[in-house]
Amino acid sequence: MMRRALAVLSCIALLATAAQAAEDVIKVGHTVSLTGGASMWGQSEKNALELLIGKINKDGGVLGKKIVLVSYDNRNDPVESVNVARRLVNDGVVAVIGPAQSGNSIATAPILERAKIPMIVTTATNPYVTIDKDTGKVRPFAFRPCFIDPFQGTVAAQFAYTDLGAKKAAVLYDVGSDYGQWLAKYFEEAFTAKGGEVVAKEAFRSEELDYRAQLGKIKGLSPDVLFLPTTQKEAAMAARQARDLGITATLLGTDNWGSPDLIDLGGSAIDGGYFVNLTDLSDPDIQGFVAEYRAAYGEDPVLPNPVMAGDAIYMLVDAIKRAGSTDGTAIAKALEETRDLPVVSGKITVNPEDHNPLNKPAVIQKVDTKAHAFVFVKKYEPGD
Amino acid sequence: MFLQTLFTGLSVGGIYALMAVGYSLIFSILNFSNFAHGSVIMLGAYMGLGLASKFGLKLGFVVAGAMAGGGLLAVLNERLAYRKLRHRNAPSLYLMISAMGCSVFLENMVYVTIGSRFYAFPEFFTRRVVTFLGSSVSVMDLFALAFSLLAIGALGLFLARSRTGIAVRAGVCDMTMCSLMGVDTDRLVALVFLLAGALGGLAGTFMGVRYLVYPTMGWITNKAYIAAVIGGLGSLLGAIVGGVILGVVETFISAYVSSVLRDVFSFTILVALLVCMPNGLFGKSMEERV
Repeated sequence: MMRRALAVLSCIALLATAAQAAEDVIKVGHTVSLTGGASMWGQSEKNALELLIGKINKDGGVLGKKIVLVSYDNRNDPVESVNVARRLVNDGVVAVIGPAQSGNSIATAPILERAKIPMIVTTATNPYVTIDKDTGKVRPFAFRPCFIDPFQGTVAAQFAYTDLGAKKAAVLYDVGSDYGQWLAKYFEEAFTAKGGEVVAKEAFRSEELDYRAQLGKIKGLSPDVLFLPTTQKEAAMAARQARDLGITATLLGTDNWGSPDLIDLGGSAIDGGYFVNLTDLSDPDIQGFVAEYRAAYGEDPVLPNPVMAGDAIYMLVDAIKRAGSTDGTAIAKALEETRDLPVVSGKITVNPEDHNPLNKPAVIQKVDTKAHAFVFVKKYEPGD
Repeated sequence: MFLQTLFTGLSVGGIYALMAVGYSLIFSILNFSNFAHGSVIMLGAYMGLGLASKFGLKLGFVVAGAMAGGGLLAVLNERLAYRKLRHRNAPSLYLMISAMGCSVFLENMVYVTIGSRFYAFPEFFTRRVVTFLGSSVSVMDLFALAFSLLAIGALGLFLARSRTGIAVRAGVCDMTMCSLMGVDTDRLVALVFLLAGALGGLAGTFMGVRYLVYPTMGWITNKAYIAAVIGGLGSLLGAIVGGVILGVVETFISAYVSSVLRDVFSFTILVALLVCMPNGLFGKSMEERV
């Protein structure tokens, strides 16, 4: 009997110390795609966060506590993203970094909003990530360090019209994805406003493999530019099929192209294509981070996610320090007041109106399959 | 544009047909839909990819290797997942459920061992395009179409002329009678799976060369299955005709009506056809076998 009582007591004591230990740390949630088609960015994003959090903890952490990252795989799926968000709320995280994709972020936002936990998405560029589509008001707990699609679409259109001298453009996009649908719309608006003409707007669905029916139609209209606001896998397949049909238009894409395997998948067909990205390996601002990442993991970070996740964790740490608390509402308020904060990609100021960063530039990269690299072409500042 | 669309439709249909033949072959003899066929096609693509990128083999050897691998895999699949059920005279529904299980198992095995990345084959014909009356067809597509027709033709010839082929056709008519006449039905079934698997390996390699290789690429066999249903499940000629019809109709609808509405139209046609002809174009009326 005595022995049993002792055992129970020691169990209680153990639990109590565990609870004590839990209070000494600040849990930061991370919802990320660790498996599936977007996993190369997700894994790189997680690596970057672990690296930077290690550094922050070494320098004393935040409010005297260490940060612990709680990372769950959302499989790049909106339903799974909602499950992950619920799990993170149960785990008692103070804030969430991610998801990286707009569809998943739009699904996640209401769950975290109800729990009053701020989220900083990494690369979700759709406007409705931080704005509630129904009310048109800003979501109080959603933030992001990346630019948004209306800007990205405009940059692509401007580059096509001015730098490539294109007068006729064709668009091929995924009708099942918010990302592709909205970018196709923004590109068309901007390109038409400049004086160009969008001769064809064709769509496919995400699980389809063959776009040659659509491309055959596009070929007959002989566009100067073929705009593909798609993932790297779809861009690679579209490029190969377009070249097989004898389409010679310049290929133009968006930040979802920016994966190193674009070149392996697209082969010679993708050579000479241009795309808009959030950041470039040769950007002078991120050289320190890239060197640290290489030293830690022996490879280049898969841009742009690690850089954006880095921006997110610095925004969060700064907000917690200024709020002096880990209360969700206090952190969200501090995040809204972020001004000229040094982050991985440069400096960031949050626009309180829409929770998007002010003055976040975009870069244009060119695909060079011979050098097996993305070559920096030019940088666009908002308002250019 | 009409001719270009027709060429595209034919080459899409050719791939559907190649996959549909695999379904029909197994359905004709065992009277169940082998949904694991999609995974055999996917693994065939991975085998071809391995031979092409790891060993740097030429296309001919890659195709031969993938066909052999696909065939063996299908035989193994039958041995482990269906044979016991068959011997116990289980209803074909159980075989179908077992097939679905195999499909999920194989797909997840690839996730766990190889990973979820996308892969591309090396470029065998450096993007050569043949132009014909203003329409372009890639050399790879022409090669794939010719080779697929050849393989299906050889299969037809084998079934029509050879002694073993006659045994297979007898099995299609009546399996029980066949075994009473002294045919080893286990060997017969294994042979049918070997043939279907080899065609699956071939289809997988061509799909991988044309598109990309990844664990869920087998889903496209849904379309091939529909093609087999249009043609009449169990009929080889039906599978080919069904595949080509589906490919051409889909492509024309995308080009002339709307790429977004494509599946709405093609599936409406499927339903309409089945309502009028429940056994498909070339199917026999299926009754419960004793």
